[in-house]
Amino acid sequence: MPNPCPERLEPYRLGGVKTHPVDIAGVRRELPVVQVGPEVSVALFNMLGDTEVVEQAAAALAQRLPTEIDALVTPEVKAVPLAHALSRLTGKPYVVARKTEKPYMINPVSRTVISITTGKPQLLVLDGTDIPLLKGKKVAIVDDVVSTGSTLKGLSDLITEVGGTVGAVLAVFTEGSPRDDVIALGHLPLFKPD
Amino acid sequence: METYPITVGKITRHVPVVETLPGVHIPLIELMGDVELVQAAAEALVKHLPAETDTLLTLETSPIVLAHAMSALCGKPYVVVRRKRRPYMQDPIIQEVESLTLGVTETLWLDSRMAEKLLGQNVALVFDVVSSGGTMMALEKVAKRAGANVVARLAAFHQGTSKLPITFISEIPIMQTA
Repeated sequence: MPNPCPERLEPYRLGGVKTHPVDIAGVRRELPVVQVGPEVSVALFNMLGDTEVVEQAAAALAQRLPTEIDALVTPEVKAVPLAHALSRLTGKPYVVARKTEKPYMINPVSRTVISITTGKPQLLVLDGTDIPLLKGKKVAIVDDVVSTGSTLKGLSDLITEVGGTVGAVLAVFTEGSPRDDVIALGHLPLFKPD
Repeated sequence: METYPITVGKITRHVPVVETLPGVHIPLIELMGDVELVQAAAEALVKHLPAETDTLLTLETSPIVLAHAMSALCGKPYVVVRRKRRPYMQDPIIQEVESLTLGVTETLWLDSRMAEKLLGQNVALVFDVVSSGGTMMALEKVAKRAGANVVARLAAFHQGTSKLPITFISEIPIMQTA
């Protein structure tokens, strides 16, 4: 069994709020440290609305995207601007795996994973109309943070099911246990709550 | 499959027409995954941003990429209102949407950490498609409750009759069949 509780650090305090300093492709941010379970707090990384971080992270990840990759897949919601920017910079199309099946989808394909942030089952859905972008293609998964890898596993299964091959995983951060199967710009430790 | 041509700037897409209610057909526009269409819409909409705008305000999911592209073009930050409560939210602003479509109740959520960024700011609301305007009215209430002043209501596409005056790039039809 791998250790489910890797090293946990004491966070800094900034103005009474616990924070964790990070450097994202040259951009510095103080991430708030929030408790998400009885035994664990995380550094909360939310790129939504932070255009500078998204654009700099996309530029850095674009340089590390393997050249043989044909298309990108990202889970809804927080990593969507990153996938958009990465697609704009590299010219590779991107597909969003949705969290709910939409009435307009044609022949959707879905998987259920256990979400790390909510602990609840989470659906991942690909619209059938996006499958031609993935079938027979080398696909890179793009996410903001790869933690336990449950979303990653669900997305990999979906991509494989529709005939694609996962050629790379790109993320801004890995979290918890360091992992060498993800191209990441940094690593977030887990924290001990007060 | 029946399609309808949508044009924004130099970009034209033949989007599928879907039946949303019996006899009611609308062109289905999806910005996510279409970098060129988003870029064209963002370039057109930033021209309508009032100079006094401090921050863009949008909501998940599809308009996020539009807000991001506009933000990258104009240098102004954006804030995303969520459609679901997230576990990390503290003292969120909770706003019901008075929705006409399908009678489905919907709730908007904004974490207090994000709401703080709107205090005293001039905000422009950013949407992909506005139809009745009910969701936009709810977003406007979120903005006001966070202490912001709404200076513009922008949408890439408009269909039907909106309750609020909005600025949009392209009108899309609602097609009735006998």
